[in-house]
Amino acid sequence: MTALTADNLSKTFAQEQAVDGVEFTVKNGEFFALIGPSGCGKTTTLRLLAGLTTPDSGVIQVGGTEITDQPARHRPTNMVFQDLVLFPHMTVAENVAYGLKQEGIAAKARAERIETTLSLVGIEHLATRNPKQLSGGQQQRVALARALATEPDVLLLDEPLSSLDRALRGEMEAEFRRIQRESDTSFLYVTHDQSSAMSMADRMAVMRDGRVLDVGSPEELYERPRTRFVAEFLGDATVLSGRVTEVGSQVTVDTPAGTVSADKNGKDVSIGATGSVMIRPESVALGSGSISGTVIDHAYKGFFEEAAVELPGGEQLLVRRGDDSTHDSRSTEASSDADDTTTFAVGDELALQITDAVLVEG
Amino acid sequence: MTNKSRRLRDSAIAGVPVSLALTVGVLPMIVLFIESIGPGVTTANYREALGPLYRGTLVYSLGVGIIVTGVCLAIAYPVTYWVAHRCSSRYRLQVLIALTLPLWLNYVVLNYSWVWILARGGLLNRILTDIGLINRPLDLLYTDVSMFIGFVYIYLPYVILTLYVSMERLDYRLIEAARDLGATNRRVFIDVILPSTLPGATAAALIVYARIAGAFATPAILGGPGNVMIASLIAEAFRQYFDYGFAAALSFVFLFIVVIALLAGGAIPQVREELRQW
Repeated sequence: MTALTADNLSKTFAQEQAVDGVEFTVKNGEFFALIGPSGCGKTTTLRLLAGLTTPDSGVIQVGGTEITDQPARHRPTNMVFQDLVLFPHMTVAENVAYGLKQEGIAAKARAERIETTLSLVGIEHLATRNPKQLSGGQQQRVALARALATEPDVLLLDEPLSSLDRALRGEMEAEFRRIQRESDTSFLYVTHDQSSAMSMADRMAVMRDGRVLDVGSPEELYERPRTRFVAEFLGDATVLSGRVTEVGSQVTVDTPAGTVSADKNGKDVSIGATGSVMIRPESVALGSGSISGTVIDHAYKGFFEEAAVELPGGEQLLVRRGDDSTHDSRSTEASSDADDTTTFAVGDELALQITDAVLVEG
Repeated sequence: MTNKSRRLRDSAIAGVPVSLALTVGVLPMIVLFIESIGPGVTTANYREALGPLYRGTLVYSLGVGIIVTGVCLAIAYPVTYWVAHRCSSRYRLQVLIALTLPLWLNYVVLNYSWVWILARGGLLNRILTDIGLINRPLDLLYTDVSMFIGFVYIYLPYVILTLYVSMERLDYRLIEAARDLGATNRRVFIDVILPSTLPGATAAALIVYARIAGAFATPAILGGPGNVMIASLIAEAFRQYFDYGFAAALSFVFLFIVVIALLAGGAIPQVREELRQW
């Protein structure tokens, strides 16, 4: 079942195309993330869906009903704003009650709903407090409760966690997931933070320059991105370009750095065409490979060590070596000469093996 | 220099302007007060000032002050909302300057500009007769109407400026949040705009209402014979009857009422915050 459909939405501000034919659907009870760099049009898209901005063209449906021309106050969607914007002159309970009051729900039913919503987000003990007295995380919960109290079909969230520090953000991400599951509400979460989106979302859409480039589960998009932009946006990736020399179940691409065998990723290619392959650091194994390069930088990252390797074509590839390295085939018993504790050093020549690569556009 | 002599020098430097300000500000008040309880020590002037003859004028003056202030606020709310949240930021400053332009002109001149507009042969009557809306010129000048128009025109810029500061500080997304949760325009105004701007509105009211109630020029220039306000009576007592004691007593009664209102408003911390900008 579809909770929300955006169909060919466009919006232009003073000659600038902010949203350009955006299309995606959010399923019932799904945690959907809309991600992209700042200025890609994701927040404008969210405002179009909320009814706070009017689209130039396109259709918005919620639960199969078109709501494109409905004002924000009639839409079955609620928004959690970026800086939360809690009503400063109301208590926590009054903030949460606000939407219920506008719907004309009687005082008794309202009190019950406030209580359930506050306990859902875990702040029932703060009901009589003023929002200004609360911590950042508590304010997040109030904002969430205020938007959830009227049981919207879709909850729209506009980077609500961006003002929190890293530790608290991680904690709140887990809470968002739990609350989304328990309230069984579809969440549409806008963020520029791909790691946060990947850890929370069931599916996500990547936007750039007002368009949706790719839609899929975090795994699909991370492992099989359609385009180079999506690949690089979702994590460390090296893209090597070259000529396709062999097409079978896999394709072989002859790049300046060496020959790479890659998954076709659903693309039609022919021998002789130009092809780009995307490689993730975790798909690079040390030793005995078809590619070699020179270490130009290395960094200790705690549970793994990372080296930037320059390839013959001038491209850079990230290589990782873990403490309990699964890539390292050398036996520790055979060579206990501190080989395992040896770190990367700038200038080292490394032989590398690409264990997994996929064809991408661009 | 020792600590003590430095302190002495500092007090001397600060003392001169402070005592000057006190002399200029307070001395006339003291003289006025002594005059009001004279000759000798008597309450006769105050008894007369509070007598039925003048009580009516006092109440009328304060009533005019309250009504004009209310009208100014009613106009300033939509205007400042539009300038702060709807007007493109490119034109905001120009619009603000245009709205507060009357502040730069002498208020006697401002009053007379309305004489020219509202007179029987004035601009408004000529336009209305020319387009055929009326046959005979309307008697607008020297009435309640012309006096109220003059008052609103002169004091509206103060109200707009004071309220604008509050209105601009209001986070527009609060309005969006309320709309998103189902609020109608009326509810948005009552639940979001009003609570956030009330201190500013109160400050604006405190700034203008006493000046309107105590205004001299506008009722004299634009008002009719019936529009007698307290300032005219005080001026009359001074200039025509040379009854300084009574004029002083009347002034103090008015001052007392105004100060009471100011203290009541100033007791609210948010209002005090707004007033600090003036």
